[in-house]
Amino acid sequence: MRTRLSLSAIAAVLLAGALPPAARADDPSMFSFSGYGTVGAAHSSNSGADYLVDEFKPSGPGHTHAWSWDVDSRLGAQLAFVPTPRVSAVVQVISQQRYNGSYEPVVEWANVKFQATQDLAVRAGRIVLPIYMVTDSRRVGYANPWVRPPVEVYSLVPVTSVDGIDANYRMTFGNVVGTLQASYAQSDSHFPNASGFDPGTAKARHIVAVVGTLERGFATLRANYGRADLTIASFGPLFDAFRQFGPAGADIADRFGVDHRKVDFVGVGATYDPGRWFVTGEWARFDTHSVLGAKSAWYVSGGHRFGAWTPYLTYAREKLDSETSVAGVSLQGLPPQAAGTAAFLNQTLNGLLGLVPQQHTISAGVRWDFMRNAALKVQLDDVHVDANSRGTFGNFQPGFAPGSTARILSAVVDFVF
Amino acid sequence: MKLRVLGGSIFLSFAALHCTGAGAADVVAVVSAKSRVTALNSDQVADIFLGKTSHFPDGTQATPVDQSEDSPARERFYAQFTGKSPAQVKAYWSKMIFTGRGQPPRQVPSSTDAKKFVAQNPNAIGYIDASQVDDSVRVVDGR
Repeated sequence: MRTRLSLSAIAAVLLAGALPPAARADDPSMFSFSGYGTVGAAHSSNSGADYLVDEFKPSGPGHTHAWSWDVDSRLGAQLAFVPTPRVSAVVQVISQQRYNGSYEPVVEWANVKFQATQDLAVRAGRIVLPIYMVTDSRRVGYANPWVRPPVEVYSLVPVTSVDGIDANYRMTFGNVVGTLQASYAQSDSHFPNASGFDPGTAKARHIVAVVGTLERGFATLRANYGRADLTIASFGPLFDAFRQFGPAGADIADRFGVDHRKVDFVGVGATYDPGRWFVTGEWARFDTHSVLGAKSAWYVSGGHRFGAWTPYLTYAREKLDSETSVAGVSLQGLPPQAAGTAAFLNQTLNGLLGLVPQQHTISAGVRWDFMRNAALKVQLDDVHVDANSRGTFGNFQPGFAPGSTARILSAVVDFVF
Repeated sequence: MKLRVLGGSIFLSFAALHCTGAGAADVVAVVSAKSRVTALNSDQVADIFLGKTSHFPDGTQATPVDQSEDSPARERFYAQFTGKSPAQVKAYWSKMIFTGRGQPPRQVPSSTDAKKFVAQNPNAIGYIDASQVDDSVRVVDGR
């Protein structure tokens, strides 16, 4: 289904590429075709594990590759169709490394927008889940100052596109422009087995997200709240096994299971960008009320533009607000075989609780706008994992211990067309 | 070593930035002489050109007309009204386009074409070299 959808979208995009490019004043075309992409490689100084920029990555630089082309390289193509000023449609297809290692194109966007009034627009179809400042353009490297948005914050909730509807309402109060966006959607996300546990597919249902932004001059403020009903079926057997250990086991299954779990997300962000320089920051918290933990993360970043050169610095931090280990079910009084099983379950649960990344990263980089449609960026990340965590890493080798550090060097060229 | 080269380039670009621009002719925002719009501040002009609003403050539809990326007036307009360099404007529109929030304004090649387009369209707003202003258009930027 998904494949067929992607193929038809590619066909549409290719077809559009054959049409003349859009938008001369005297000949406003109904179609416009545009694209973006990144070609880049990243290196990690720590070969004891792979550095994973989000939970969809099956591998990365470090152990699997000294230099990985898969971290940031991608190609996106978009076709917009605007038959009338009120109705428009957009399809965006993106090819990047997926959970299964392939670059099979995926439909990131496919929606129809209806501009009901000059200030109210409604969209239906595949839309982007608006949970961060740059959620909807996080894949468009050219639109952002960094090689990639700060990993600590942007990997909190890895889901990007969802299927549903949203409404966007714009208000103007003097010099202040406010927007209010509300979405209702669902998503199925597939994850790789890079952490030693295969989460399979995460099903999020009844996703409700509300975002408010205020813009005045060079300043933007943003706040959002979201919630969803999350099920990860592959956790089922573990917690079913816990339930066989009486009320204590059932209590653990109720606390940590991921079966129709209510998860919620809160985020705030601010940007000030007068042109010559910029400063931006975000704070976010994702509470899964489950074995996936309650995580919070923030970053601040700033840069200065010297002509075509924009050096920048970022500090980012992610931590767990819930426990990293629990006592589990008591082994006391259990027959030897049951005690062995209980010990294994406790150990598995604690292993999962310990997977939540806790770390901070200091990044320094520079963007060079060397030609009109392309920018070169070089970035160095100094990643410090907390003593009780293994950070945003995976494919662990025996030498990789909690509290490790790594230096990630990345060089990318971002382009738009 | 690498750092020193980088530092040198940064310094050079910075120096270049401060040497250009002086003495260049002013660019002004204009609407048709037939338009009812009389005055806009530079933030209001910027919001229309950046697609943040599709209407003039009085509620009438605004149709911005941009100039092509080769036009010298374009760079000066965006620097003056939005504080953005050509690369920043490009980055801004990539964000808007690839988030489905909008498409950039239609483009014409030069100030002459922009003036012609604006003069004929009561809803249009454009920018032209101050020296080209005549009675077919009205300057609106009140700062």
